[in-house]
Amino acid sequence: MFTEFTDVVPSFWGMLNQGPMTLTIFLHSIIVLPMYFIYKSEKKRMGH
Amino acid sequence: MSEDYKEPESVWTSNRFWSRSAGWVTGFSAVLLILLTMDTLDQITIGSAKDLENKVTKRVPSASVINYKVTYEYSDVRGHEVPVIGEKELFFGRSDYSEAEANALLDKGKLTSQAKNCMNCHTLLGNGAYYAPDLTKAWLDPAWQAGGVMQGMTGTTSVDEAMSVFLQNPDKYASHARRMPNLGITPEEAKGLVAFLKQMSSIDTNGFPRNFNKIQGSTQK
Amino acid sequence: MSIATPKYLSQSLAMKYFFVAVVLFGAQLVMGLIAAYQFIDPEFLFNVFNFSTARMVHINALVVWMLYAMIGSAYWMLPEETGIETVGIKLGTLGFYVLTLAVTVVVLVYILVQVGPGTEASIWLINEGREYLEAPRWADIGITVVVLIFVYNVFATVMKGKRTGITTVLMADLIALAGLYLAGMFYTSNITMDQFWWWWVIHLWVEATWEVFVGVLIAYGLIKVMHANRQIVEMWLWIEVTMLFGSGILGMGHHYFWIGTPEYWWEIGALFSALEPVPLVGMLVHVIYDMGKHNGKVNNGPAFNWFIVNAFGNFLGAGVWGFMHTLPQINIYTHGSQFTAGHGHLAFYGAYATILIGMMYVAIQRRNGIEEMRSTSTSKWAVSLITIGVLGMTVALTLSGYVQAFVERAEYGATWDGYFIAQGATWFTQGIDWRLAMGVVTFIGFLLLVKDLLTIAKRSKALANS
Repeated sequence: MFTEFTDVVPSFWGMLNQGPMTLTIFLHSIIVLPMYFIYKSEKKRMGH
Repeated sequence: MSEDYKEPESVWTSNRFWSRSAGWVTGFSAVLLILLTMDTLDQITIGSAKDLENKVTKRVPSASVINYKVTYEYSDVRGHEVPVIGEKELFFGRSDYSEAEANALLDKGKLTSQAKNCMNCHTLLGNGAYYAPDLTKAWLDPAWQAGGVMQGMTGTTSVDEAMSVFLQNPDKYASHARRMPNLGITPEEAKGLVAFLKQMSSIDTNGFPRNFNKIQGSTQK
Repeated sequence: MSIATPKYLSQSLAMKYFFVAVVLFGAQLVMGLIAAYQFIDPEFLFNVFNFSTARMVHINALVVWMLYAMIGSAYWMLPEETGIETVGIKLGTLGFYVLTLAVTVVVLVYILVQVGPGTEASIWLINEGREYLEAPRWADIGITVVVLIFVYNVFATVMKGKRTGITTVLMADLIALAGLYLAGMFYTSNITMDQFWWWWVIHLWVEATWEVFVGVLIAYGLIKVMHANRQIVEMWLWIEVTMLFGSGILGMGHHYFWIGTPEYWWEIGALFSALEPVPLVGMLVHVIYDMGKHNGKVNNGPAFNWFIVNAFGNFLGAGVWGFMHTLPQINIYTHGSQFTAGHGHLAFYGAYATILIGMMYVAIQRRNGIEEMRSTSTSKWAVSLITIGVLGMTVALTLSGYVQAFVERAEYGATWDGYFIAQGATWFTQGIDWRLAMGVVTFIGFLLLVKDLLTIAKRSKALANS
């Protein structure tokens, strides 16, 4: 999953982008996790 | 919100929940975009003549790159073509342009490219109109090199001279039915435009265009 | 409930904006026809009125007529949403005349002067030479001032009158829309930096703030045309804003693949722009759902037809056609080809032209106090011909774009020679021929649209009285 950094200038975002998956996983997480959290808390609140 | 508004039981049908979500999601996206922009601006700031002398690779090299030979080569590490800045090379007979001189040329060229509305026929870095060829790597195009059609037609022996002569009277040197119009480009503006095109060819565009001039046989027809 | 409203000055001003918008729409089409014909006969008006000039006026008229119609729509909605006359409407009306004078001068300079010498003066006085943002700097400043007056009108009115979800979104969106224009008002010799900020204006307009504006218009339109429930409509609006900004703002990454910006934009652009069609599907579902709920009962036939074309057109043109070439793996071959032109035609039409024309019909109906305004045969021919025309141009350009991607880019390695070989390929030129033919169809549809906009009120009144 982690491979050598290849872009011209090393930077925080470039580091996240090393390898094929890291930035994708990070970005998907920030989209999906809040949705999942709201879904769970809502389910709990509705008493199911 | 109107007075008869009742908060629904579930958040999924609650206007208040969705308006808050809109605020948070928009705010978060905007902050992320600004952080990314700060990082990117740092990386795309134009380099200096010193960078070129010290072989420091910049995404957007200094205008002084006109003093050097530029090529576009496949990089195993990057997995696509990248511009490579090589040894010194003559540009209109000189290879000792100071950074100030080079900047002045680039500035003239960029201003001319805007004033002459290049972008409404050509694409630059792939953006613009689609009536004429992309100019991103025009400086490196085989049509302009020795043996290419443009040097022969303009009676010149170098890329810079060929481009300069062509730009001043483009409608006279037609290679295809679709000609470039005469835009009243002066010798000084033409020189600036050529500097602008050469500098643009040295920008690292993450491998765009792909396989540029890879298929030698076909490009020479 | 009577549909007649008091004669608000704000709505008179809206009608003025709509009028100029339609004139500019016509100018856009004429310029498009000239440019399309030059593709076929490159000697047509060569060195007199070049492709670059025709194309510049084509796309500028497009942007400006849409802004006019958007401003007009806002001035139209304001009194109805807030229940009061727009605050500072006299200043707003003055702004309209200043803006229209400025636009006239800019267009005349485009057409008569065309290009200037390579100096800063050309950028200030003639044209800025940056696609879509060609307006010279003096006009930029003028436009900003007039837009500030408009923003003041909206804010002052909403603060004083009733505040709804629709006007809240409108206010937030307008601030972003107006502020972003400033990102395009500077000069740099660094082409990468130039293009970076250029996209801040272009992308954050058409793929974020303008789309949200469309959401506002749909919400308003559904309430007026079929008495949709405000609470549900506004809930949809907030969901749309969430998804449009959530995908659109970072979707900017898909313009940063190849302009000299870092590689990490590949993944950011790919992911968020792949999400951009999602809210457009949502808007489509929303409109169809509401239509079903009200058994298709509407009080404005032509406006509703345009809303339906908007729902499908936005999804197809912006969503499907955009997604087709948004991933970097594909975009490296399609970037800067007719593919983009195909997408642009259907997206601008489907997402914006349709809803704005629909708003004009809503305004005509309510201005004339017509309880139920039904489509005339002219309205139906107009919407059909324009839609078929634009769809035809889009398909034709997409096929030409495919030829470019495969022949020019993949086969010939993107050289000048490869470019011209692809431009001469039979399947490419067929696409270009069909684009002109479909452009003519669109133009005939436009003429019928103008006729209908001018006569439908009279006909509807006569029908009601008989």
